[in-house]
Amino acid sequence: MRKRTLFLFILLFAFWIVISSNPDLQHILIGAFLAFITAWFWHVLGPRQPVVLSFRALLILFRCLLMLGGYVIGANIAVAKTMLFSNPPAKPVFVVMKPGINSDWGRVLLATCITITPGTITVDVNPDTGEFFIHALTERTAIDLASWRMISEIKKLENQMKKEAEHVSHTDRSDDIGSVSAAKGNNRINAD
Amino acid sequence: MFKIIAYICFVGSVAFFGLGTLGLFKFPDPYTRMHAVGMGDTLGVGLIGLGLLLLSTTWILRLKLIIALSLFWLINPTMTHLTAKAALIRGIQPVKNTEIRRG
Repeated sequence: MRKRTLFLFILLFAFWIVISSNPDLQHILIGAFLAFITAWFWHVLGPRQPVVLSFRALLILFRCLLMLGGYVIGANIAVAKTMLFSNPPAKPVFVVMKPGINSDWGRVLLATCITITPGTITVDVNPDTGEFFIHALTERTAIDLASWRMISEIKKLENQMKKEAEHVSHTDRSDDIGSVSAAKGNNRINAD
Repeated sequence: MFKIIAYICFVGSVAFFGLGTLGLFKFPDPYTRMHAVGMGDTLGVGLIGLGLLLLSTTWILRLKLIIALSLFWLINPTMTHLTAKAALIRGIQPVKNTEIRRG
C-alpha cells in the first residue's frame, strides 16, 4: 500500500511539473507539498486501485479507444445531419438495455463511451441489475446501440482482465502453498 | 503545410461549435440539447486540440495539450451524465414524442 501511495505521489508530482509554467524551486516545493498532501489524503483508496494492465489488455484498450474515436466522428456527422435536415429535428428514445457487463470499471467505461458519443447519453446505470438507461437522439441510434461493437470489445477486455486476475490469484495461492510447505518442512527439521 | 491543416482544423471546430449552438435553439428539450452541445465538446474541442498540437513548437507544450484534452474528454461525459440524471430526478419531462423501449 505504501508503494501505491508513493506511486500516486510521483504521478501527481510529475503531473504538476508538466503543467506548471516554470519548473523553478517555488513550483517544485509547492508541487511536492500538494502531491504529498493529496497522496496522504487518498491513501485509503489504495486497495481499490485497479491492477496494472498487461500488454494484451493495453492493446485491447488502445483498439477500443481508436474505435471510439471513429464512432465519435461518425456520430458528430450523424447528429449534425439530424439537426439540419430532419423534420422534426429529433425523435428521441429512452432505451433500457442490459449489455451483460459485470465489473464496475467495465460499466463505467461503457457508460463513458456511450455519453462521449454524440447522439447517446447514459442517464443511469443500475448497479444491481447492470441495466443501462440511455437517451438516444433518434430511433436509428437506439436500434444500433444494442449491437454496438464497443460493447463486445469491453466484454473482451473484461474477460482478459478476469483471466489475468485469476492467474495472479492462482500464482499467489501456489506461492502461499509453497511457503506453507516450506515452513512445515522447516518446523519438521527444527523438531528433528 | 502544418499551418494550413491547423487552420482547417480551427474552421472545422468553429463549424461544430456553431452547429452545437444552433442545436440549442432547434432541439425541443434539455435531453436532446445535450446531444447538440456534445458535438462541440467532442469533435469541436478535438479539432482545436489537433490544430494547436500542429502549431505548438515544443514537446512539453504538446504533452500539456494532450493532458488537457484527455482530462476534458474524461470530465465532459461525466458532467453530461450528471446533468441528465439530475434532470430526470428533478422530474424534467422529455419532449412528448419520446418513446421508451427495451433494447
